Amino acid sequence: MRPDPQKLLQWIKPNKPTEKELECLKLLQPGDYEIYTEKLNNFLLESKEVFLKLGVSSMLRSGDLVTGIYAPSGEMVAAWCGTYLHAVIGQLPIKYVAETWLKDPTVGCKDGDIFYCSDPLYGGIHNCDQIVVMPVFNEGELIAWTNAAVHQPETGACEPGGMPLTAKTRHDEGMLLSPIKIGENFRLREDLVEMCVNLMSRAPRMQAIDMRARLSAADRLRSRLVALAKEKGNDFVKGLFRRIIIEAEEGTRRRIREWNDGTYRAVTFMDIVGEKHRLVRNFLTLKKEGDTLTWDFTGTSPETDSPQHCMPHGLAANVAIHLMSYSFADLPVSAGIFGPMDWKVPEGCMFNPHFEAAQSNSAPSCHGAMTLGTICMSKLMFDSPQRELVAAAIGNTGVGVLISGVNQWGVPVADFLAFGLNTEGHGARSDMDGVDAFGFSHCPSGRAPDVEDIENEFQFLNLVAKLSRDSGGFGKFRGGSGTETIYAVNYVDYALYNSHVKGSKIRNCLGLFGGYPPPTLPGIEVKHTNLWEKMKRGDKDIPTGAVQLITERAIKGDYEISSIFKKVHVMENGDMWVVFSGGGGGYGDALERDPRAVIEDLKKQAISPWTAENVYRVVYDPKTLDLDEEETIAFRRKEREDRISRSLTWDEFQKEWSKLRPPEEVLEYYGSWPDGKKTREIIRM
Amino acid sequence: MGTKRQITEYLDIDLEKELWCCNRCGRELISARENYKKGCRVYVRKDLTTIYGSALKGPFTFAPDPEWAMLVEFYCPGCGVMVENEMLPPGHPVTYDIELDIDELKKKYLKAEKK
Repeated sequence: MRPDPQKLLQWIKPNKPTEKELECLKLLQPGDYEIYTEKLNNFLLESKEVFLKLGVSSMLRSGDLVTGIYAPSGEMVAAWCGTYLHAVIGQLPIKYVAETWLKDPTVGCKDGDIFYCSDPLYGGIHNCDQIVVMPVFNEGELIAWTNAAVHQPETGACEPGGMPLTAKTRHDEGMLLSPIKIGENFRLREDLVEMCVNLMSRAPRMQAIDMRARLSAADRLRSRLVALAKEKGNDFVKGLFRRIIIEAEEGTRRRIREWNDGTYRAVTFMDIVGEKHRLVRNFLTLKKEGDTLTWDFTGTSPETDSPQHCMPHGLAANVAIHLMSYSFADLPVSAGIFGPMDWKVPEGCMFNPHFEAAQSNSAPSCHGAMTLGTICMSKLMFDSPQRELVAAAIGNTGVGVLISGVNQWGVPVADFLAFGLNTEGHGARSDMDGVDAFGFSHCPSGRAPDVEDIENEFQFLNLVAKLSRDSGGFGKFRGGSGTETIYAVNYVDYALYNSHVKGSKIRNCLGLFGGYPPPTLPGIEVKHTNLWEKMKRGDKDIPTGAVQLITERAIKGDYEISSIFKKVHVMENGDMWVVFSGGGGGYGDALERDPRAVIEDLKKQAISPWTAENVYRVVYDPKTLDLDEEETIAFRRKEREDRISRSLTWDEFQKEWSKLRPPEEVLEYYGSWPDGKKTREIIRM
Repeated sequence: MGTKRQITEYLDIDLEKELWCCNRCGRELISARENYKKGCRVYVRKDLTTIYGSALKGPFTFAPDPEWAMLVEFYCPGCGVMVENEMLPPGHPVTYDIELDIDELKKKYLKAEKK
């Protein structure tokens, strides 16, 4: 019964229009397409607001969610994004329900039914992402589906926070729901809601409230579509939906056709596997030929006994975030965009593992692939009318930091600290710096939650929340700065903390055309502090930044600088920790950055004086910050001359470089060196 | 520009000569049917604190671990501009990142030029 992974991947693409749909297209009069697509977008905006106002967990409140409209066949017609990947994979559980349960006499599907799912094997991303699906009937005919999806930060897994690093198989990951009917007659079945809430005993309140928020959003959308069908007729709606999908596919093909034929490649490396620092590789070969794009991930490291996997449809949906928010952002958010796309994801690699594999960390495991998509598409689009969309990669650290335990109100919680998650730096562009604290790599429209709001919800003090100096990749245009936040456990005796953030050893974010990748991210914790005493005294030396905290050590305590990636552990009252969100990649040679922009960066503390001198090679008066243009020109000319004298020819370089290799321990899960082929079988218990 | 197309921030292709050229100084690098990186000067930056500074000491800092990553920088041999760089584990092959269909490119742009 479970769909084959290749079938799920194919389900992302649009169907061939039926004769009936082609007939219905004729019902659209001039202007109808423009008016009624906008009307659908307004329905989506309204349903998103309903969702946002009724939910409680951090990612929901940050807007990292989706509400979507799908054709009776399950094809995506329109979505509020939000998280584009949810919009794309939203098609798959609907297609599964339509194919499997619609005509099954023990399940069936009628007006008022509510379906619910979370299992990636049935089209989800990872089991944190819970999706509600509702059929839309008018006059007894199924005319559409609606959905509402958002990450639920607790799954009842073997660790709090829904993304257990110790998971070896799917059986360690908590609730995995294949699409089930969870309600009838427009009401949730309380016995099934209780089952879900009971499984989430670390955060039952969040589960109970957010399930209803999902349903309210999907139902509001459903009621608007019914009203539209009553006004214009079911056939008009069918024609409108098909026209949207056709417009998106034709527009996508037209744009691809303009670009240069060729093959574009990129490679990224991730530095965590399970609970260990280990190296794995993601490799993309993007082939553009005529009006098609083929995404080939051959060369990606093999599956492991960790939760860092993703199914092929999830990988495609993650890569689609770039396509839908940049390359084809002006086209309808619909299945049509995927008509010209083909995907090759070899069986047995970390993006196409055995079905028993754990994959609760699938979204963060795709950050390297998201970088690959951005970089290959930028190289493809540079010599095209879309040059303005060219950019280095977003931070892509996926700032998954989680707090759990009982909060100051006596309520059990397990949730993301969504500030870092929604404040990564954007990649620098071909004509401007990357946006500082741009947002969440999975959700361009997400927003960092309000500090007062989250302090009210959780058992900590948010001591610092600010842009992080030197965090964007250096270049002609600077990558957007990430942020740094400092927290301290407050009100309660202890809290549990864990972090899935990557990038302490090597970053999976890349610069573009000579722009540097952003820096790595250390983990900083201070235990047994005297923070409260100092605050009570009103001491003036309480740090306002991470580097100041660690270098000046004005706060007494046990300091630990290690990896930013942390297993779940206890933090006691007054214990402090730092969260970094990654900056974006730089664009172009740093020696070409306008020296006046470097001075501006110094003034707003986006970079340090050390960086201005040693990376940007700018000469200025450190007291007045007045630029010395002539000396800067000479300083930069000297560096260009030094580059040529210290570098090697290709053959000389190859001779030396080919002798190097990382330590064996680091390559434990990499696969064969250097091509990442499978070298062993994984036996899962 | 003549028969040159700008393909990246720092690279042109001369379609008639079928050569990669530096966009800044015009230096001819290598055949357009080859990886342009082979026509560049190459520098391996092993100590990454020279870019990312050394505000923190110890095994976890703002610079990648040199056992895990090095920066391979590609410069134009004529003017020294940094055409591209790659953050790679030591010894990992350099990426052939842009392999254009030169015949199609010539058909598309030289034909348009003649018209």
